[in-house]
Amino acid sequence: MSDKKAILSPLPGVFYRKPSPELPDYAKEGDVIKAGEVVGLIEVMKNFYEIKAEEDVLIEQFVVENETIVDAGQELVLVKSQAS
Amino acid sequence: MGVKKPMNQLQTRYEYGGDEFVFVQLSEEMSLEANFKGMAITRELKQRELPGIVDICPANASYMVRVDPDVLHPEELIKELKDIEQKMADLDHITIASRLVDVPVLFEDPWTHEAVMRFRDRHQDPESTDLEYSARVNGYDSKEAFIEAITSAPFLVSMIGFVPGLPWCFQMVAREKQIEVPKYVRPRTFTPERTFGFGGAFAVIYPVQGAGGYQMYGIAPAPIYQKEQTLPDFRDSMVFPQQGDIFRYRSITREEYDQIRSEVENGTFVYRKKDFSFTPQEVLEDPDAFSEMVLRRLYHD
Amino acid sequence: MIKVIKPGLQTTVQDQGRIGLYEIGMPPSGAMDKFSYTVGNLLVGNQRNAAALEITYLGPVLQFGRKLRISITGGNIPPKINGQPVAMWETLEVQEGDTLSFDFVQSGARTYLAVEGGIDVPVVMNSRSTYTLIGIGGFQGRALAEGDELAVGDMHEKKVPVGTRIDPSLIPVFQKTHEIRVVVGLCSYRLTEESKAVFLESEWTVTPEANRIGYRHKGERLKFVERQQPFGAGSNPSNVTDLGYPIGSIQVPDGVEPIVLLHDAVTGGGYATIATVISADLNRMAQIKTNEKVKFVSVTLEEAIGARRNLRDQLMKIADAI
Repeated sequence: MSDKKAILSPLPGVFYRKPSPELPDYAKEGDVIKAGEVVGLIEVMKNFYEIKAEEDVLIEQFVVENETIVDAGQELVLVKSQAS
Repeated sequence: MGVKKPMNQLQTRYEYGGDEFVFVQLSEEMSLEANFKGMAITRELKQRELPGIVDICPANASYMVRVDPDVLHPEELIKELKDIEQKMADLDHITIASRLVDVPVLFEDPWTHEAVMRFRDRHQDPESTDLEYSARVNGYDSKEAFIEAITSAPFLVSMIGFVPGLPWCFQMVAREKQIEVPKYVRPRTFTPERTFGFGGAFAVIYPVQGAGGYQMYGIAPAPIYQKEQTLPDFRDSMVFPQQGDIFRYRSITREEYDQIRSEVENGTFVYRKKDFSFTPQEVLEDPDAFSEMVLRRLYHD
Repeated sequence: MIKVIKPGLQTTVQDQGRIGLYEIGMPPSGAMDKFSYTVGNLLVGNQRNAAALEITYLGPVLQFGRKLRISITGGNIPPKINGQPVAMWETLEVQEGDTLSFDFVQSGARTYLAVEGGIDVPVVMNSRSTYTLIGIGGFQGRALAEGDELAVGDMHEKKVPVGTRIDPSLIPVFQKTHEIRVVVGLCSYRLTEESKAVFLESEWTVTPEANRIGYRHKGERLKFVERQQPFGAGSNPSNVTDLGYPIGSIQVPDGVEPIVLLHDAVTGGGYATIATVISADLNRMAQIKTNEKVKFVSVTLEEAIGARRNLRDQLMKIADAI
């Protein structure tokens, strides 16, 4: 039984870790974030789609870098569930 | 020694656009003559009502026809188009049904000026405004003289497109008087709705807010596209301009601009316009006399 | 009535399109993959022009207000009813209160949801298709949003039994690399011979901007034949005197990143067009995702017309079987 999970990209597109180039990252490795909080954006068809945590999680590792092109279903962030 | 090109010897190119389109380029360069020729051919094609023709799309110095190739083979269509072209070769017996329209423009308005300043880094001359730059590259002493050149002779609506209702307008003056300006180095992400702009040899009005690359000189108070269709000029169509219309851009004051805006908002605004027919010959032989006649007809007769 | 619980990335109402209005600058809009859209309508017994939902990349969550026949065709975005996987390319039935949702996209890019009777929105210039750029057609001129309620129309003409399927050999398979057939022409005279060859030999990568307006492709730079630019054409060698753009036509602004113009494209402008995607392959173009690979293959006009005929025959076969 593992509480380690990955947040997947539901879309193909470009992954961004920050809302705009001059602003800080949404989240860093080691952060604990709440359900519904944004961890990154996927840009496709000139739309930005927010990637959110589905539950309270600890961010263990970003698997893809900022501005990487990703496919639908690709792992973006490894997280550890904080639900007890 | 230069050889003068006879009027009817434009280089026509017939091309397929996949299985559904035939593209016909009448001339690589823009001219009133090429536009008249395209207008004459596409209007004749429309009248022939051939089965299988889905869309007739006239442009500046070219035109396109969309077909259902199961009904009309594109090769057969090209034969038909060549036949029409031959019959229209001398433009002698062609009359163009048109409208003369007064199109008010507020030059150097605050809204396009703001956009002009916002995108200086995408312009070839960040130190000047679009109007100052365009006046200079066309050899005018002042922007006032440049505005005078734009407003003193009418424009032919030579094509509608890009987005619904955008009129490409080509000034009805001799070639040596034609204004030509480059487009922005990199396109803008924003252009105000109803911006009066210029790019290449064409004046345009942007029907809706959006991206754009033309130089921006002013704003029109009246719409050329209205999706709600509440104004009388838009009752039959969301789009006001028609290819073949003759537009006279008239420089107005801020006071008149505000007056027209309130008429537009009340739903009472109507373009000043007159139905009018002309022959390409009249225009090509003496554009200055034609232009004078058009202005007289629009404002006095 | 269909209630939009979540809208998906870009879900729009589309039909055959707004045809014949180039003269006023109106692009056709309409379903991008007409084959899948048409099969969808056939499976629910609709007339050919009934409006369906076009779903792109990420499916919506929808709740049905009454018992209704539906079908899901096109790109494989696996559908679920009340959380249970259901088949695509098959006549399904939903009950009042049922919820339709989707998994991550597996293959293709666009999926069609046809409902018995069609989606009922006001007809604008002979079409229900959404054209978002100026906000006309479809549901209030825009993509669906959370909380929208869609009415169902009466454009059905026959009752198709639940469980009706189409011959599996006629279901298109969407890969990650694509050969798209084009007829070279239009202003291809502007490209150098070498660049024409590069255009046809390269493998191009679809950029993230690819949408209903057009698909942009990354790859090698193409060169234009040097010339004194003709009057009115503009200063860049890729510029021509502004002309009409056929649907499927390919242009290469400044020689970089060829763009295939699609159903919501601008109808004209000042870039040289060099080739046109054949009508049969526009359907396949619609199923290409961002970051996938495209090779353009030159065919003759006769081959293009032949491909079009094949597609029509396939649709007739499917219609007859249903």
